[in-house]
Amino acid sequence: MSTLEIKDLHVSVTDDENGEGQEILKGVNLTMSTNEIHAIMGPNGTGKSTLSQAIMGNSAYKVTQGDILLDGKSILELPVDERARLGLFLAMQYPAEIPGVTNVEFMRAAINSRREKDDQIPVMDFIKKLESKQDILDMTDEMSERYLNEGFSGGEKKRNEILQLLMIEPKFAILDEIDSGLDIDALKVVSRGVNSMRGDNFGSLIITHYQRLLNYIVPDQVHVMMDGRIVKSGGPDLAKKLEDEGYAGLRDDLHLDVKLTDEI
Amino acid sequence: MRANLIDKYKDDVTSFSQSKGEPDWYQKVRLDSLEKAEELSLPKYEKINYRSWRLDRPGSIESADTSEFNRKPQAENYIYQVGDKTISTNLEDELSKKGVILTDIFSAMKDYPELMQKYFMTKVTKTTDNKLTALNAAFLNSGVFLYVPKGVRITKSIQAMFVQDNSIDCDFVHHVLIVADADTEVTYLENLVSEGSGYKNKANVVVEVIAADNSRVHFSALDQLSKDTTTYLNRRGITGNNARLDWAIGFMNDGNVIGDFGTDLLGEGSHTEAKVVAITTGEQVQGIDTKVTNYGKHTIGHILQHGVILQKSTLTFNGVGHIVKGARGSDAQQESRVLMLSRKARGDANPILLIDENDVTAGHAASVGRVNEDQMYYLMSRGIDEKTAQRLVIRGFLSSVISEIPEKDVRASLTQMIERKLVYGQQ
Ligand SMILES: Nc1ncnc2c1ncn2[C@@H]1O[C@H](COP(=O)(O)OP(=O)(O)OP(=O)(O)O)[C@@H](O)[C@H]1O
Ligand SMILES: [Mg+2]
Repeated sequence: MSTLEIKDLHVSVTDDENGEGQEILKGVNLTMSTNEIHAIMGPNGTGKSTLSQAIMGNSAYKVTQGDILLDGKSILELPVDERARLGLFLAMQYPAEIPGVTNVEFMRAAINSRREKDDQIPVMDFIKKLESKQDILDMTDEMSERYLNEGFSGGEKKRNEILQLLMIEPKFAILDEIDSGLDIDALKVVSRGVNSMRGDNFGSLIITHYQRLLNYIVPDQVHVMMDGRIVKSGGPDLAKKLEDEGYAGLRDDLHLDVKLTDEI
Repeated sequence: MRANLIDKYKDDVTSFSQSKGEPDWYQKVRLDSLEKAEELSLPKYEKINYRSWRLDRPGSIESADTSEFNRKPQAENYIYQVGDKTISTNLEDELSKKGVILTDIFSAMKDYPELMQKYFMTKVTKTTDNKLTALNAAFLNSGVFLYVPKGVRITKSIQAMFVQDNSIDCDFVHHVLIVADADTEVTYLENLVSEGSGYKNKANVVVEVIAADNSRVHFSALDQLSKDTTTYLNRRGITGNNARLDWAIGFMNDGNVIGDFGTDLLGEGSHTEAKVVAITTGEQVQGIDTKVTNYGKHTIGHILQHGVILQKSTLTFNGVGHIVKGARGSDAQQESRVLMLSRKARGDANPILLIDENDVTAGHAASVGRVNEDQMYYLMSRGIDEKTAQRLVIRGFLSSVISEIPEKDVRASLTQMIERKLVYGQQ
């Protein structure tokens, strides 16, 4: 079993225009283990993606206080690629496009980066694995032969993120709005992919705006984030409650002084 | 005081010409060129100063013995040369029967004097263009003639392997003449590689391509001259009516090189795509001028240059698109982009458009930038280490030219060359 702990995490971004740091996360605490699925919900602009990027190690996000521990060891000093090789994975809200590099080639490089130089994955093993994962996601060879995300539709990109997840088999996967832009069939397919990973060696942190995804990937815990903090945690029914009552209701229940983006 | 070129080299050039059994007309071309070289100046390149490279000081023209290298191309139609020696050559019977000629330049002078006198440095590049083209004619010590007679379409590619040998003290003065007559089709690929070590040599390479009316010529080149070789590389072509001449050049040399590429679009409705990828490493300097001139009406000239600069090296791309008066309905476009991977690298991308006609379309894009951070982050977030990620992003950046090369195995060897040079440059 592995654990991922976020302790009193404060994260700032630097404003491009005036160069001043702006605090986005203001003390996030969260602990999860493999074999658990956690969901994070919260209004736009509260820092959900920021949390995911800070865990992955995106250098645009500066940790000013607190810690992130994987199996008890701080990973704050580690560069992105080392965090990934230790078992972290982030399915991004906006994946980059890379022309000239095929999906297949990229996934092989990713898998091989976790293996010794003299023990790279045999081509046949790789192809077999790829085919079985493509089947789970109703994907074709055609997409895997294409250049990485180049010209992919929004939904195709999301599906491709999950294909990578299944190929790489990380310990912890953070899925940032993996459901946005998916039609209902694709949503089921993607959920099937994530569920196929569930087990003793896998945990996931799912960022979403819609309770619907959580019908397909049933979480163990649901957290609500507002203004850079987790303000409430509970079981799957917390998501249903939010869907019915919205964030304003919860905020008022908790007597929080937070302005929601869409409030007039 | 330095002796005149003619006084200093006349005897060497004459005796070399005799040793090759050259016809009188070519011996005369040599001596005339030698004389003219004295007065001509070095070609000028915007923002590139290469005077100190001494490309205008000839070294020895004749080699002692050449070594054997195992570089024979794996192709049906090929010519393989080491230094000034032709090691082997082959052409499918069917092509020979149709009158296709693939031979070394000295045999061509003897066996096809009419074709040679008609086309050699008369239509595309002239001995009087500049000092270095004059020296190319005067000191010529290797080369190839490829002729495709009217109406012949060659489906398999023709491959040339030219080895420049640094285990001996000898300049590599090389000339390739390709004539694709009317209604022909040909795909040609040349490899220019250095072998051996021990000496520092100069290379002066001129390639002329004549794409006559309605012909289609695809020219690819993979250049890998070593850091001990200082080079002038001139590859230019002309087009007849509705001809198409495409260039895909992988500029992967390790030494100092200036390149002069491009097409004169003479015939109406002719079209050229000139694509160049370059990587510079170490402390080398590579400068490339790619120039396309639209003379004919409704001609299309596109230039695409992508380069990557590592360590303390310098890469300059000059792109010149020129539409002359009367070339109505023509199109000139160019894109030059360089990526700098180190703070000590120097790079330039200078687009120049000269438009003397109103009814045309033209455009340019140029940039000097760094590796895309979002792409790097994405790749690294999957566990790929920084250097590998960098090479993948760069490969993507260069892919627009790589994908242009018709043969799969040639694309693969260019990809390998890129990988090798990048790994070397990342140290
Ligand atoms: N790289 C950045 N530079 C500047 N500001 C940023 C950056 N990333 C995030 N922010 C700001 O931080 C705040 C939180 O953004 P974040 O993307 O984490 O929100 P989110 O909760 O994921 O919202 P959404 O639900 O809309 O995806 C926003 O105000 C955003 O503008
Ligand atoms: Mg977000």
